[in-house]
Amino acid sequence: MEYLSANKILVVDLTSAEVTDDELSDELVREKIGGAAVAKHLYEQHADGDPIVIGTGLLTGTLFPAAAAGVITAKSPVTGKISHCPITLKVGLEIQYAGFDYIVIKGKSPEPAFLWIHDGVADISSAADVWGKNVWETTDTWRKVMGDDLIQTIVIGKAGEDQSELAQVCYNYWASGDRWGFGKNFGAKNLKGLAFRGMGLLEMADAEEFVELALDVLEEVKEGEFVGKKGIGDICTAIGEADIDTWLAPIVHRHSACYNTPYATNTFVFLDEDAQKMSEPEHSEPGFLITDIFGLIGFKKMGISAVEACNLLKACAKYGIDAAAVAELSLATGKKTLAEIQGSFATLVGAVTRPGSGIFSPWCPNQPLFGKFDDAGDDPTAWWERRMAVASIFGIHPIFSVMSPEITEDDLLEIATVGTEVELSQDTLDNAVNYLLK
Amino acid sequence: MALKIDALKCTGCMACEMACGYHRDDGFALLSSCIVAYRTKEKKDYFGVILKREEDLLIARPEGTEIKRIGETEETPAAGKQQDASAKPMLLREACDLCEEMDLGPMCIKFCPFDAISED
Repeated sequence: MEYLSANKILVVDLTSAEVTDDELSDELVREKIGGAAVAKHLYEQHADGDPIVIGTGLLTGTLFPAAAAGVITAKSPVTGKISHCPITLKVGLEIQYAGFDYIVIKGKSPEPAFLWIHDGVADISSAADVWGKNVWETTDTWRKVMGDDLIQTIVIGKAGEDQSELAQVCYNYWASGDRWGFGKNFGAKNLKGLAFRGMGLLEMADAEEFVELALDVLEEVKEGEFVGKKGIGDICTAIGEADIDTWLAPIVHRHSACYNTPYATNTFVFLDEDAQKMSEPEHSEPGFLITDIFGLIGFKKMGISAVEACNLLKACAKYGIDAAAVAELSLATGKKTLAEIQGSFATLVGAVTRPGSGIFSPWCPNQPLFGKFDDAGDDPTAWWERRMAVASIFGIHPIFSVMSPEITEDDLLEIATVGTEVELSQDTLDNAVNYLLK
Repeated sequence: MALKIDALKCTGCMACEMACGYHRDDGFALLSSCIVAYRTKEKKDYFGVILKREEDLLIARPEGTEIKRIGETEETPAAGKQQDASAKPMLLREACDLCEEMDLGPMCIKFCPFDAISED
């Protein structure tokens, strides 16, 4: 695959410490397009190694609006299904430019290990020094050891190491869309995580046409209903949790967006300093970036303050545990304080609500946000699953995909064809979506 | 014409950096951009944009915009560790030419989803 691709699929066997790479063939792209559909194909190809597959969408890291997302595909220990978790923030971008389109991780390392993926090179490195450390300490350690503060990480904390079914992989320091217990999959492989850094170049078959099409779509997107809204608070309002916004407002510092995403889906709150202060904070860790809508809503339901709720989100992210699940189980057992809840992390078990069919992460709201989607009315579940499938194939931010009807399947197919010279039709996309949903 | 950056509108999405990279390399890459999102202080949520111009650096921080001569800031190797730019020091990057040979105009303005960059 010559365009929009590093043309490499990395296969890592942790048992034998063997690292190989294959080409990404045009035939595979012509059949599955990219992202979650290719990742599922690779999962099935290497199923005997109980793989975790990490990949990018066909447009990830380009100038197409919201082309931020990568994907983690594995068998969920809580649903038993092959499930997909979006990779957001700047992590999907960094994977794209680190030199591999897909990474298949199979087997089990005899000792704690992590993968250092950089500029087309993949190293299996010892994680002995960070095993037992929390998510924040681990990312800090890797950035310091490698001497680069822009390294992006996918990492587990204590929950993953202990193979809790509530374990969540985290991105850098923050919660992810992993509601599938993928942190347990990492722990079972003795895999602390992955660190990415890359300076690659993505070429396009027709660069000028690609960029003009991307700009046309962006201009349409910027007329969307979401314009003027920002952050987690407005998303909560859109899904009927209107009081979150005012409850959170006093500690909101700034909102930030994932790579090239026209809506700032992330909200940073200050817990130790004045949130209105815009100069560089004095504390090295003044607050927390909220990336998890339902974790926040869950803690709010306990009747605690926004500061207490966000301190709980922070504790969950450090431990690498699914905050929405923690909130649901803690509410059921009447635990409320940080000490009580944090103290229960190691033993927390129980059935947790995960809306949907277990394929795409319910981390993303399952309804249109702000915008009106003509096709969302008849069967909202089917609409949401298709929207998730298409976003995961092309690398579109899943939350943005449910707030911007301006991003259409026609646009995605057209620009992908222009960018790759691989003819991609609606039938191809329908087949890839059906393959993911079956 | 010059560029003006409103750091408080900026969400750190890096679209400007990629758009500039496309202008330089005719592909998607970040190594040659003259506009860079600085994002190394992630746990502090302290981010903004640095633009390399012919004579100086325009640094759009949340608390305000600052202009520094190249070599005077921590964003350049002159102060030792490069802290806030990307993998390639700002000193080694080409200065902004406002995408003068491109019909689309300054690419960073066109592709900023939040209209944080404008003409001054």
